[in-house]
Amino acid sequence: MAAYVLRRVLWGLVLLVLVSLLTFVVFYVLPSADPAQLRAGRNASPATLAQIRENLGLDRPMTAQYWTFLSQLAFHANLGYSYFSQASVGSLLVDRLPATISLTLGAIVIWVLVAVPLGVVAATRRGTWVDKLTTGGALLGISAPVYWLGLVALYLFADDIGIWPLFPGAGSYVPFTDDPWQWFTSLILPWIVLASTFTAVYARLLRGNMIEVLSEDYVRTARAKGLSERRVVWRHGLRAAVTPLVTLAGLDIGLLLGGAVLTEAVFGIPGIGQLNYQAIVHADYPLIQGTVLLAACFVIVANIFVDVAYAYLDPRVRTS
Amino acid sequence: MSVGAPGLLAQEERYERDFAAGMERSPWQLFWRRLRSDRVAMVALAVIVMLVLVALLAPLVVKLAGAPGPNVQDRNATDMFGTPIGPTADHWFGVDPLGRDVFARTVYGARVSLLVGIVGTGIAVLVGVTVGLVAGYYRGWVDTLLSRFVDVMLSFPVLLLGIGIASACSLGNGCVSGAITPGVRTVILVIALVTWTSIARVVRGQVLSLREREFVVAARSLGASNRRIVVHEILPNLTAPLIVYSSLLLPQTILLEAALSFLGVGVSPPTASWGWMIADASDNFDTQWWYMVFPGAALLLTVLAFNLLGDGLRDALDPRAER
Amino acid sequence: MPRPVKRALPLFALCAAVLALGACGSSNNDSGAGATVDNGAGGQRGGTLTLLTSQDIQSLDPGITYGSLDLNLLSSAVRTLYAYAPDNPTDIQPDLAASPPQVSPDGKTLTVRIRSGVRFGPPVNREVTSRDVKYAIERGFNPNVANPYASTYYGDVVGAARATGGPIAGIKTPDDQTIVFELTRPTASLLAQATVLPLSAPVPPEYAKPFDAKSPSTYGNHLVSSGPYMIPADRDGDVLGNGYVPGRSLRLVRNPNWSAATDDRPAYLNEVDFRIGGSTTVSGRQVLAGDGLVLGDSPTPPLVKKAYQTARDQIFFSPGAGSRYAALNTAIPPFDDANLRKAVAAALDREQMRRIRGGKIVGDIASHFLYPGVLGFEEAGGLEGTGVDFLANPEGDRALAERYMRAAGYADGRYTGDETLQVVGLAGAPDSNDAQILDQTLQDLGFKTQLKLVDVSVMYGRFCGVPRARVHVCPNLGWIRDFADPQTVLNPAFNGEFIFPENNPNWPQLNDPAINRAMARAELTVGDQARADAWGAIDRQVTATGAAIPWLYDRQPNVFSADVRCVPELWNQGHCDLAYTSLK
Repeated sequence: MAAYVLRRVLWGLVLLVLVSLLTFVVFYVLPSADPAQLRAGRNASPATLAQIRENLGLDRPMTAQYWTFLSQLAFHANLGYSYFSQASVGSLLVDRLPATISLTLGAIVIWVLVAVPLGVVAATRRGTWVDKLTTGGALLGISAPVYWLGLVALYLFADDIGIWPLFPGAGSYVPFTDDPWQWFTSLILPWIVLASTFTAVYARLLRGNMIEVLSEDYVRTARAKGLSERRVVWRHGLRAAVTPLVTLAGLDIGLLLGGAVLTEAVFGIPGIGQLNYQAIVHADYPLIQGTVLLAACFVIVANIFVDVAYAYLDPRVRTS
Repeated sequence: MSVGAPGLLAQEERYERDFAAGMERSPWQLFWRRLRSDRVAMVALAVIVMLVLVALLAPLVVKLAGAPGPNVQDRNATDMFGTPIGPTADHWFGVDPLGRDVFARTVYGARVSLLVGIVGTGIAVLVGVTVGLVAGYYRGWVDTLLSRFVDVMLSFPVLLLGIGIASACSLGNGCVSGAITPGVRTVILVIALVTWTSIARVVRGQVLSLREREFVVAARSLGASNRRIVVHEILPNLTAPLIVYSSLLLPQTILLEAALSFLGVGVSPPTASWGWMIADASDNFDTQWWYMVFPGAALLLTVLAFNLLGDGLRDALDPRAER
Repeated sequence: MPRPVKRALPLFALCAAVLALGACGSSNNDSGAGATVDNGAGGQRGGTLTLLTSQDIQSLDPGITYGSLDLNLLSSAVRTLYAYAPDNPTDIQPDLAASPPQVSPDGKTLTVRIRSGVRFGPPVNREVTSRDVKYAIERGFNPNVANPYASTYYGDVVGAARATGGPIAGIKTPDDQTIVFELTRPTASLLAQATVLPLSAPVPPEYAKPFDAKSPSTYGNHLVSSGPYMIPADRDGDVLGNGYVPGRSLRLVRNPNWSAATDDRPAYLNEVDFRIGGSTTVSGRQVLAGDGLVLGDSPTPPLVKKAYQTARDQIFFSPGAGSRYAALNTAIPPFDDANLRKAVAAALDREQMRRIRGGKIVGDIASHFLYPGVLGFEEAGGLEGTGVDFLANPEGDRALAERYMRAAGYADGRYTGDETLQVVGLAGAPDSNDAQILDQTLQDLGFKTQLKLVDVSVMYGRFCGVPRARVHVCPNLGWIRDFADPQTVLNPAFNGEFIFPENNPNWPQLNDPAINRAMARAELTVGDQARADAWGAIDRQVTATGAAIPWLYDRQPNVFSADVRCVPELWNQGHCDLAYTSLK
């Protein structure tokens, strides 16, 4: 078991390095702006530009630059400095992380609390209006783009422009430490909107799984043994149906922690997703590299967790 | 988010059983029958056909509706402060801040969405199937290499990768020394690049189990070349799951294109794209709701139709998960 | 300086401005069009002002920064030798200096006396001396600082040509209170004007040298104040994480070492909070409806309309805020053909360009490049225009455009050549809309175009400012004055001498020998009226070439809450001057 975990973690590290290499290629080799220009400001003489390029190490071969970046990260835990603001990438990430985590955790809570009962109920009451409503709603949820839903939600419920002003509008996010109540209310709409897509997917998936599981032999046996329907459904059925969802959820959480760009954009939440998007627009390579690595880190860690959990539950997996 | 296609190979067993029982209906006929009887899926199919027609015949549709072209800037449609007018008899869906008719732009937007979605998915499927086949069938170091590569790509936040490549390729004179010019082509490529990996993984899984099946083993023992086996035995059995998977992937790619356009790194203006229109509207939608609502509804309708069709296809191919 | 989009972004430097300025043209608004000019007298002390901006400060380092919001911030935190009062963008006033500048008879020496009793804020705390000003200017030549205008304005100082951050011989400090500039050319009056830019704000060398040794210099994050306000910092002067969180917030608090006796600024406010990163639309709404708020961005057209219609004393239209024009690349086909350029100019509906920005209230249709408030504006034709036919009709003239197309050899009045035009504009409304209007105009004339909408730094740094990029049309360009002198508007923008391979300010790459010669002569012309005549004539010549299409003289709108008594900086886009503004 320990050996398996170790192997997975090592592979995770390798993955991170490879992701950083891929980032380097995509965001640096296919350049969208010259960092020396950005740094130099305007009307810099060619000599100044050359000097800055030398200072930034831009005139060295690609491999040397990449190696510098890697060694800085590995040995000094230094992610570099943003070209745009000259702040350290690490500090920018730390500053934005709480917002993303707030957004993600809240959305997760909602989608679990909603998707599980909905999926179960729809499965057990197949064909009834509850089922049809759930399935229909779920279909809408996965078909509507999340930013459009966000805009519609703001149009309906935002207190500055909405038809029924109930919740704070876009741009009202404050950190938890500043004003817990405002933090909470400003996140309600984003949570619901972000959760909606996931809820839809998971409710559908759970429903499908439950239907399959509930027609399995052992469930019939449990019923025949006289167990209450409730027990059958929730104890036996759900447990089996939910396993694939858990792994999926793990992966999706990892994904979301890397920043939900679209939701953050619509609601003006200063999270990692927004940071990354701004960095790309400004061709701020060190910041891009930092945010992408962070996001990949979350995805990889989530993957490892899921794999290890599986291995724990099913020993056959460990030998693969 | 992943999509499963469980039990599709039960189809195979059913066929064998029916064949043995003397009912010589081919699996395809059975499939069509089931699909036809699924009313919802049929409606969805009709909607999609209509959308495709509208997209293909966009100029005609717009002309019939009496609307100006999608890029015609009507300077009388904005007031002295530059505020565009809402839905009127002349402009059914209102105009955008440049005075362009929203109805026309919504109709033309269908072109972009469908083109990018269909072609992008097509390319992704092609690449994904090839990689998955090679990895799953030949195994060994080829498999390891390809699988690891897919792992790397899947660790990358998809949207960010898309944004990055799109913005890198949209600026300047394209990527790969100008072979890929900014515009629709770039977006198609980006989307294909970003979505092929999930197909590859699924296909690989399917191939891994298929290659151990009796008919494959039999073919091999008969001395059939690898190529023959792949083309004649394995590929046909992949068709069903691929159809399902593609039809479920298509709406995702349409949404992805819209997302990229929303973020400003999709198709370049002034080409009408639903995502771009929604982004444009996001600043002023409190007073100018029409050019957010109509493209958004169109997008919703399109994606919904494809999702419903995909569901219908999956149910028709695998009746075990009956509704 | 080149036009920024969101105003807090870096700009090009300008070339020399010369001599005292005449009356800078009226700074009146149309009566009824918004709040009026204010000099801040009699304001109420106290309170906190919150400034909402979507874009971060580019840099806090006075040696680096050049964006209008940055200038707005710095004008309350550091003191330059001379400065403009908020309501007088024409005449420089002594700020750190104690008296008007003394220019020697031969024009090659500038002597400035510095006030005593001005002290640096924490952690330096000591009195400001002339040596601090000397170091501030010298560090502008250090590549770690790379000041964008140092070589342009201070380039005539003896020894500056070879300076790389070390001492410059031509800047002398005979005592603590006196600084003397010795020049190689008789441009001392110009230099006096140039000191309004932040480079002349004092920087303590013993404190700053370690930061300037780093590449890039980190002095910006350790800024020491010399004005009424400062950014909270830790014991070592580091503002990061204290008063400044990049991309999020910045605070200005009172500088305890500031002495009101040495400064004309009233400094009513106790604190100014910058909240960075929100969307302009959302912030705009909050500002109009809220309290104690000021919008640092350019308000969106719907907001302008709403403020104008429902809250007219919460919006100020700052006149003479700059001009906007579209540049056509004259160096490569097809716009090396003047007839084609004029065709495009004739076809463009400049009224529509203005309307989508908010309509008449945001400015006047431009017909040449010197704009209201700049010397020479009237001489070049004023609002009437220079008289060229292709700019006569603000709504465009299709028939005339077609005639020019035919003159260029296209019999049908539509382009039939092979070139696909690269058009690079700005992302974000309303600039993206202006770019699309021009793009559509080009297409209506038969051109095939490829439009890219990008970030402002990318537009200048990678496309429009780089001749190698072979961009044909840049619709979202423009110029903002540093001084009221016309040379700064026309010379770098249209003189063939100013075509550089990178950071090129002469975007159309106009290189007309007759115009170049006229400019060289006009540079040395002395006397307001003579300069106005000379540069006015040059403006007419440049306009006639059709190298760029002028379309708007901006009246920059600024929006603030109802309880804010905003004192607009007429010299800087109408931003509320933080050291003069008060709360009602």
